[in-house]
Amino acid sequence: MSATGSVRFEGVVKRHGTTTVLHGIDLAIHPGEFFVLLGLSGSGKTTALRIMAGLEPVSGGRVLMDGADVTHKEPGERDVAMVFQSYALYPHMTVAQNIGFPLKMVGVRPAEIERQVADAAAKVNIGHLLERKPGQLSGGQQQRCALARAIVRHPRLFLLDEPLSNLDAKLRLETRLELHALQRSLGATTVYVTHDQEEAMTLADRIAVFMEGHIAQVGTPREVFAKPRTMAVAAFVGTPQMNLIPGTWANDAVTADGHVLQVAQTTPAPRDVMLGVRPSDMRIAATGLPARIERVEDLGDSAIVSLTAGGRPLKVKGDLQNGGKRGDRVFLSFTPQAAHLFDPNDGARL
Amino acid sequence: MKPSASHRQIALAAVAGFGLAVWTFPVIWGLLTSFKTERDVLAYPPVWLFKPTLDSYREVLFGASSILPNIVSSSIVSLAATVITMLFAIPASYALARLRYPAKRASGFYVLVTQMLPPVGLIIPYYLVLQKIGWLDTYTGLTVIYLTFSLPFAIWLMVSYFEDIPFEMEEAALLDRAGRLRALWYVILPQVRGGIAVTAIFVFLNAWNEFMFAVVLGGNRVRPVTVAMFNFISVEQTLWSRLAAGAILAMLPVILIGIFAQRHIVKGLTVGAVKGGGRR
Repeated sequence: MSATGSVRFEGVVKRHGTTTVLHGIDLAIHPGEFFVLLGLSGSGKTTALRIMAGLEPVSGGRVLMDGADVTHKEPGERDVAMVFQSYALYPHMTVAQNIGFPLKMVGVRPAEIERQVADAAAKVNIGHLLERKPGQLSGGQQQRCALARAIVRHPRLFLLDEPLSNLDAKLRLETRLELHALQRSLGATTVYVTHDQEEAMTLADRIAVFMEGHIAQVGTPREVFAKPRTMAVAAFVGTPQMNLIPGTWANDAVTADGHVLQVAQTTPAPRDVMLGVRPSDMRIAATGLPARIERVEDLGDSAIVSLTAGGRPLKVKGDLQNGGKRGDRVFLSFTPQAAHLFDPNDGARL
Repeated sequence: MKPSASHRQIALAAVAGFGLAVWTFPVIWGLLTSFKTERDVLAYPPVWLFKPTLDSYREVLFGASSILPNIVSSSIVSLAATVITMLFAIPASYALARLRYPAKRASGFYVLVTQMLPPVGLIIPYYLVLQKIGWLDTYTGLTVIYLTFSLPFAIWLMVSYFEDIPFEMEEAALLDRAGRLRALWYVILPQVRGGIAVTAIFVFLNAWNEFMFAVVLGGNRVRPVTVAMFNFISVEQTLWSRLAAGAILAMLPVILIGIFAQRHIVKGLTVGAVKGGGRR
């Protein structure tokens, strides 16, 4: 792993006119880390990435790279490379010229450019396409070309803006694995923007979950999934979405619609609570919360069962044996450890 | 091929043929006239079969009323106007398309408004101004006047070409350490090459074909070919075959450019007709 490539946001604010896109973001990305900015569109994740790149000026706060203040540095002065969602390949140049362009701009000798271009192209398996123009490449090949243009420079920081979103599903999975392997072999700090939580979970060393211009949580994929800091994060991460059931919490049980459900935590004083249980943690059982099956989606190796309990839609994900059929009346249970408890007012984890 | 499809094609060909005939008739008539003697020109009913002669061409090229100097004049003015227009219009349209600055909309609209003024209303003011600064009947004077309408036109046309280049393209170049000027040179300009060529051709042709300003603001020293041809029409007589020969010669560069750049020009006329929206 390289020793350089740390990024630090200190109270970064970004406003577009009267709307505030980022409300004072603090962030620390470590050298060599694969760091994912996860969020819905409009959550500010892409703006944060563009601020790192120097493509957007900040309205407040500081950006530091390897300890140096780069807040007002031009994009070209930051030693960062970026892969755009649209790839932004130069259509009038060949693949080789595209990849070599960042080297040409800093005056590397042509022979040396040729050597490094071949090297970078080989890393992403497009060595045989160097004489083509971007228009003659498939989407996947264009994406690799954009990647090669980024890695040829050996920058201290890679910025990737939804690089897989324009690929079809199968190619996306393959490329995801390759991207992960490539990042590991290069050991360069990588900041990756996506709205796809599965991508985030599989690629990231750490994830920052962006919500409405704030960072809702920073942590490893496991932490974010297992201990979501807010109800919103809990609802956003994980498919199907976490079931949320309002109830009253007393001692070590939550009462919802008159049914007592055991949880692992105890409260000193009774209070209102939002109980969260992941669909994969819920089971159809002999006792528990009564519910009615509305729909069964067979995924082959598992099934997603949609139910209603107390007029509220819930989901259970599990194997098909526990399924049942539409209209069945069943009970739902979960282990006390699987329960997440949130404050119903501010959404904070309890 | 289905019969309906071939009927359709025949109908289309007929319409196209008729349109073409209407457009080419004057040119063909002019071409024929240029090879006639003055007597054949005035024959009534018109003669279709006649003994062609190159007398008119000899006269307008090498005779006393040679238009060669005028073709040189036209070339100087048109080339100067084109070069200077493009020199200013390229950066201006790039700026209009790209940079965010106050009153951007207003300045874009102003460029368009200058195209709405009827040129005839400007002739007298222009004449007075040029007279005052002593630029009447000079290349500088006529070129500057041409710039006043070719520059807004070129800017307006090229803005749409620059707007068609995605922002990311430039941002990628900036991150690739090109800086703004080299991003423009290496990444943006090569992609609008076609648009620049079309605009330059339009500007050149407009200047080449211009008559009204040339006849009023030019003179004995600067007399473009359009004005020179006009001189074949006088009170006593009109030298139709010489006029036609002059017109054909004056048309030659236009036709050559047209053939050469046909593909680009059609693209230029339809640019912006279908435009991907959703850009920032």
